[in-house]
Amino acid sequence: MSIVKIKAVARKEFYHLIRDFRSLYLAFFIPLLLILLFGYALSLDVDNIPTVVVDHDRTAFSADFCRKLDASASFDLIGHLPDTAALDQALDANNAKLAIVIPPGWSAALKADRPSPLQVILDGSDPNFAGLARSYITSFVAAANRRLQIDYFNRQGREPINVPVDARIRVWFNEDLESRNFIVPGIIAIIIMIVGAMLTSLVIAREFENGTMETLRSLPLDAAELLAGKAIPYFFIGLIDVLVAVLMGQVLFGVVIKSSFALLVLACSIYLAVALSLGLLISTVTKSQLVANQAAILVTYLPSLLLSNFVFPIINMPTILQKITYLVPATYFIDILNGLYLRGLGFGGLWPSFAVLGAMALGLAAVNVIKLRGEGL
Amino acid sequence: MVCWLRVRELVRKEFIQLFRDKKNRPLLIIAPLVQLILFGYVVTTDVRDIRIGLCDQSRTPQSRSFIQAMAASPTFTVTHRVDHPVQIDDLMIRRKVDMAIQIPPDFAATVQKGHTAKVLILVDGSMSNMAAVRIAHTMTAIERFNVSLVRQRLAQHLQFAEIDARIRTWYNPNLDSSHFYVPAIVAFLIMLLSLLLTSMAIIREKEAGTMEQLIVTPLTPLELILGKTIPFILIVEAQIIVVSALAVAWFGIPFKGSVVLLFAASCLFLLSTLGIGLFISTVSSTQQQAMMTTFFFAMPFFMLSGFVFPIANMPVVVQWLTHLNPLSHFLIIIRGVFLKGTGIGVLWPQFAELLVLGMVVFAGAVRLFRKRMD
Repeated sequence: MSIVKIKAVARKEFYHLIRDFRSLYLAFFIPLLLILLFGYALSLDVDNIPTVVVDHDRTAFSADFCRKLDASASFDLIGHLPDTAALDQALDANNAKLAIVIPPGWSAALKADRPSPLQVILDGSDPNFAGLARSYITSFVAAANRRLQIDYFNRQGREPINVPVDARIRVWFNEDLESRNFIVPGIIAIIIMIVGAMLTSLVIAREFENGTMETLRSLPLDAAELLAGKAIPYFFIGLIDVLVAVLMGQVLFGVVIKSSFALLVLACSIYLAVALSLGLLISTVTKSQLVANQAAILVTYLPSLLLSNFVFPIINMPTILQKITYLVPATYFIDILNGLYLRGLGFGGLWPSFAVLGAMALGLAAVNVIKLRGEGL
Repeated sequence: MVCWLRVRELVRKEFIQLFRDKKNRPLLIIAPLVQLILFGYVVTTDVRDIRIGLCDQSRTPQSRSFIQAMAASPTFTVTHRVDHPVQIDDLMIRRKVDMAIQIPPDFAATVQKGHTAKVLILVDGSMSNMAAVRIAHTMTAIERFNVSLVRQRLAQHLQFAEIDARIRTWYNPNLDSSHFYVPAIVAFLIMLLSLLLTSMAIIREKEAGTMEQLIVTPLTPLELILGKTIPFILIVEAQIIVVSALAVAWFGIPFKGSVVLLFAASCLFLLSTLGIGLFISTVSSTQQQAMMTTFFFAMPFFMLSGFVFPIANMPVVVQWLTHLNPLSHFLIIIRGVFLKGTGIGVLWPQFAELLVLGMVVFAGAVRLFRKRMD
């Protein structure tokens, strides 16, 4: 390995990048866009559920029930409808997600201390949303029932019965339950894969397609030197992207790392090395930019998004896919990010993931060197 | 004027070129199917199998009946039992459990005296949406336990008012997340395929230098565009049929609406995506550039479509932006057609917006392409 030769290749690749202004621009702009989108616009949290009511009861009691519903942070009462036909339409057209039908004689039955039904219709098409909405409305009704119970005991002049068990729920690691706190760190993993693997997946294939591989073969250049030189410019771009992402997460969105910053930089560097090795290997194997591009999306970007515990929990997947997630580098990196950002873990708790990523980087690079030597380099 | 004979010949050339390259075959035929099956399994946000770490310091029949009431729900599984609260912290930090329940030593005594016993519940909040559902499940289970205990304690003849909420879930009664995501995946795959195919097809001619040859032929720019896009319209429409059939056959996704409507919507949708593909190929000169630019469009389209992240949660300004996103309209249509069986009476605003968007984008792309050609 000669440093001078690596530097020469790196400089050439760097000029390539600079000259192709758009690739460079996109390499910086996509990460910026992602962070802004996820920080400001995208959230999985559910509040202000658009709700419509069909009130056949029309009493002060039912009006009060609706007012309380609207006042709660979970629901947003967007309108009273005359009948259930209008309700069908509101749900079909996506105007409302939750509909409540109060039957005639509802409050009279309740005043007479009789149980009385309340019809609730929920748009289940988005299950993440519907699951939460269902439990919000259940606990809202439970609270109303508690009020009715206390009222009953007061009227009877009896002591109300204590609730036997009171759960004190404490949320750890993400105390405010904001999806931003796990999504913004996760974005780092996606950015690194895009910059590290998708951009580099084209660089060796380009040499093959342009016929410049012949020139490289005739040079006194070893495969390892070629790969190192090709990877270096992208490594620095990736690192800059990560720093920008981390800073923006912290300054704009208050997503603060709980563990050490140095450890984060180390983790990102190792993961970046994995991404670069993977991208370059794809490039060597496919030898065509079009195929490399497809393969890079399939092998790097999509698995990091889908098979990494980022938004979609691994535990829900079929067993075969769960096993595949062990092969996805992003799984280990997301685990590290989760540890560093949310759990405040140190190296002691995270070293297995570090070790796996390190081994992956070295292994992929070694395979690539052997492949390229086989090509006569 | 368009000479259809010339267009037909170009379409034929394009088909031959596409299928002659062996590397393209898996890309065109197998990849969308594999992706659908894979994504269909992966993309779920269901909350199942909540792993619970339990620290029962009471060890009484009362505490055991409480645990039983919790474990009665199939979503909860007690995976770890520990003796000391400190061990619970360890389980939580090492991500061995999603939730931990700590029952205090005086639990049984407090409950028997008719006071309120406090149970500590720790929840891993790192995935906030999942955590919120877990908390909700826990509250429901505890509520159920409380109600049954209070009923036991009360004399039988007491009858007081109670609102009995009968919750019915429409469109997806079992809250099966595949019903929500699989139709969306169909739409997303179609978008990706049509964007990539069009942009790459023209760039390839540019890179290989054969674009010059096409320009000196009597083909007009419009004929060239038609010849380049018609094959992809046919391929993508065929893909929609195959992929939708697979969604129904493999994942059991209900298809309640009309096939014709879906077909019409996809044609309008393709107008936009092919226009964007054409635009990308006009402004790019290498495949790397085209790929990056495609990505640049596809990613925000995906994020701002309501695919995973609800549009209603976005800031108002961003919600306006989603109207410029063809995928967001197409998702409403495809989900409506699959799950709700909605017709044109309800979906016409989406159709109208798709049509306008598609015409503007396609016309703009054609204009730009013509200008570059001259």
